[in-house]
Amino acid sequence: MRLKSTYLLTLAMLLLSFTVSIETVKINDTFRLLTPQTEFEAGHDIVLKFSAMNSSKPNLYLSNSYGSIIIKPVRSRSLLSYQLPKSFSNKAGVVNWKLLNSTLAGKLNIHPKQDVASMETYLGPPSIEAGETDYTMLVVIPTDIYDNPLKDSTQVSIKHQFSANERQDSIYMKNNISYKNIYSKTKTGRILISSESLNKNSKEYDVNILPAIPTDFTITYNRNHEYTDGNQITNFSTSIIKDKYDNIVSDGTYVDFLITNASNYQLKTSGSTVNGIATAKMIHPDHQDNWTVKAFIEGLSESNSISITYNQSVEDFEVAFSERNRIVSIGPLKSFMGQMIPDGLEVKLHIYQNHIKIKTLYKDSFSGYANFNMNPDNFPDNIYTFKIEAAGIKKTYQNIKLW
Amino acid sequence: MVSINRHILRIILMLSYIAVIALVIFGVSSLYSYLNTGADRSSMLHTEIKKVDQYLPKIVWAPLNNEGRPMDEQTLNTIENDYLDAWYVKHMAYKTNKTNGIDDYYTESARENIFNIIEHNTTKNITIEGTTLEHHPILEFFSEDGQLVVITDKDVIEYKRLYENENIVLETKEKSTYKIILLLEDGFWRIRHIIKKETQNYSEDTVAVSNKTITIKGINYYPQATPWNMFGNAFNTDIISKDLKLIKEAGLNSIRIFVPYVDFGKANVDAKKTEKLIQVLDLAEAQELKVVVTLFDFYGDYSVLDWTLNQRHAETIVTALKKHNALLAWDIKNEPNLDFESRGQQQVLAWLDYMADLVKSIDRKHPVTIGWSDAKSAILLKDKLDLITFHYYEDLNDLEKTYENLKLEIPKKPIIITEFGMSSYKGFWNPFGNSESKQASYHKQAQSIFSKNEMSFMSWTLYDFTKIPKEVVGRLPWHKRVQEHFGFINQKGETKPAFEYISKQ
Repeated sequence: MRLKSTYLLTLAMLLLSFTVSIETVKINDTFRLLTPQTEFEAGHDIVLKFSAMNSSKPNLYLSNSYGSIIIKPVRSRSLLSYQLPKSFSNKAGVVNWKLLNSTLAGKLNIHPKQDVASMETYLGPPSIEAGETDYTMLVVIPTDIYDNPLKDSTQVSIKHQFSANERQDSIYMKNNISYKNIYSKTKTGRILISSESLNKNSKEYDVNILPAIPTDFTITYNRNHEYTDGNQITNFSTSIIKDKYDNIVSDGTYVDFLITNASNYQLKTSGSTVNGIATAKMIHPDHQDNWTVKAFIEGLSESNSISITYNQSVEDFEVAFSERNRIVSIGPLKSFMGQMIPDGLEVKLHIYQNHIKIKTLYKDSFSGYANFNMNPDNFPDNIYTFKIEAAGIKKTYQNIKLW
Repeated sequence: MVSINRHILRIILMLSYIAVIALVIFGVSSLYSYLNTGADRSSMLHTEIKKVDQYLPKIVWAPLNNEGRPMDEQTLNTIENDYLDAWYVKHMAYKTNKTNGIDDYYTESARENIFNIIEHNTTKNITIEGTTLEHHPILEFFSEDGQLVVITDKDVIEYKRLYENENIVLETKEKSTYKIILLLEDGFWRIRHIIKKETQNYSEDTVAVSNKTITIKGINYYPQATPWNMFGNAFNTDIISKDLKLIKEAGLNSIRIFVPYVDFGKANVDAKKTEKLIQVLDLAEAQELKVVVTLFDFYGDYSVLDWTLNQRHAETIVTALKKHNALLAWDIKNEPNLDFESRGQQQVLAWLDYMADLVKSIDRKHPVTIGWSDAKSAILLKDKLDLITFHYYEDLNDLEKTYENLKLEIPKKPIIITEFGMSSYKGFWNPFGNSESKQASYHKQAQSIFSKNEMSFMSWTLYDFTKIPKEVVGRLPWHKRVQEHFGFINQKGETKPAFEYISKQ
């Protein structure tokens, strides 16, 4: 019996809950929006108020630029108030709302607060080329304290200074940003840039104007003497290399010097500019030669072509055979004033047997002499022909017998 | 005796020696092969990048006419990818109320806004399943240093489903316009500002397709050897052509075929498979048969974040077939009401509703239907669909009444039974099953009802099959055996008695 009453009670409660739930679902338009305002400024409290004919408390769906939420009302008598959370009332853009379980829906416009809190600035590229054609772009996004970009057509002043010139331009925001192209001048240097909107100034930004591409230049050379001692060094240097606006090219501009010698072989040396001048070095040849020299900045500019003549320093040398002709002594090798040639002149000894070259020996001169020692293990007793080459001079000794 | 023992001992010793040696060799070789496994050369540098399609809403860029630096295609692609990823991670974040991935696609100050909303939703136990279905971005501005872009994304179609305490409280579809500023940071294009400029409720205007259809006398078709795998490697036009000729000669005028979702390559539809599908329609046209194409076979996810992928799939197939003469109608999905229990009725219906809209937006000529598994479900989405179709495997004596009732509820749209039939399996797994003659009388009765009420029908199915994939009815043999014997032609290729009643009584 008791069980039965429990059943009945449960059943009754179930039925009751059904009727209750049906009632909450059956909200026809018993709500009326009491907040006519649809335009708001970011940061203000926004409360949507509805009058309700019945006792239900439907939730409110809200959706803004970043996402959607559902908020609950506060009810006082027949008035339902929905307070937008800060994350919604602070962000500019359209907010659409829907009162759940009803057909009421609408939109709010939240405008940015027209008061600049920060000037978000993007400047690039950081260096540009002289000549009034290259430019850098300054993008300024003035934002309010809630991180909303200000309204379109807000005025932004762009100020920039270069040497004695200062200039101010007014631009207007569009697509939530403002931007200005700043062109280079003909002179190298640094442009200082800042911006201002609604009395808020940005910090200072700078852009370097770098020289434009170099123009053609000339080269000179400089040497201790004109002789081919294979020891001294010839220095090459350029004139001051400039762009077409007379700016000295950036330090470190790489210059290649190409040397073509009398036998049409090429030698290469290079240097980079300091204050527009590049220097490079090349050791003197060890035999009489004629050089043609031209310098290049690869792909950009070139120099004139100069010609350099080197005179023979060693006129002649003596050759002596000793120790069963196994020691060949070359020297004295005398330089242009009759002094012994500095150490290190290359001497070659080509050894032939039956007109076939069997070996070439190399020696650097030492104290004006070069000695070759032909070991019997390498050169068995026989008849050989020797050709000796030093400082471009060749001498041949036929049929020398080694024993 | 002694010598036998000795022999045994010797044999045991030798065998154990061999066993030990074998074990040692096995051990050494497995150690050797273990040391040789690991990164193979091709994968050492991680040069291959696997991109998984997760989010592919329709995106149409306006012709480029931006201020600032001219845009190149590669950068635009990167921006598009990162921008869509930003939407995707946002949807994920609101679905799970976790912040994974947000840092990569929103700048430090922008992500705050998302975190605030997540915090609010977490405390109120609100989750949002959302997706965007279309984007129409316009590139407004690209900065000279290539680090900042401004985009206006017009008419973004957003679908949102809000849950409070895991109950759906709102489903909404909105069309909005956004202004977005993106910055290139750490190689990511990150959203710096996103501002909603306009928004309105969105509903696709459903265009009713003229529903003057012929009286359909059709059949569900799979080749006998490859049921539920019609477009696989065993695809053979000769067999299909012969079958379709047979169907035509039997007095039928249409077939119903199925396009498996995964098998066709999900979002990236395999062009070869589409080609095969077109071939089937060509063959049908040659026999003057019409075809009902059933999409999304073996698909069962329905989750909102999958929608964009489904969209790509349907778009490709519908676009490929919509001008085909043999096409009769689109069946969005076979028996989706069976998924109500596992996936939720509202979720499945929202998906069907959207897919019907999508198919209609691409093909405005052919009617759209859903192959409900019972007459009870056939009233769902009735206003959206052009044809009402359902499957009938219950008692034939109730068919007329069921049909009449449905006709009363949906008086203005043609109603077609797209599956009915009877298995003639009687054997070990089902000793009380129906015989072939019972099947024949079933079809005879069905045909008499159809002709009396001028009903359109499509029977299940032409052949008895020998192999039923487990995805169809599961692994249980008493299900499989029954499913094998619904045909008019038996496993040996001989017509069953029911064949006589395939198209007439």
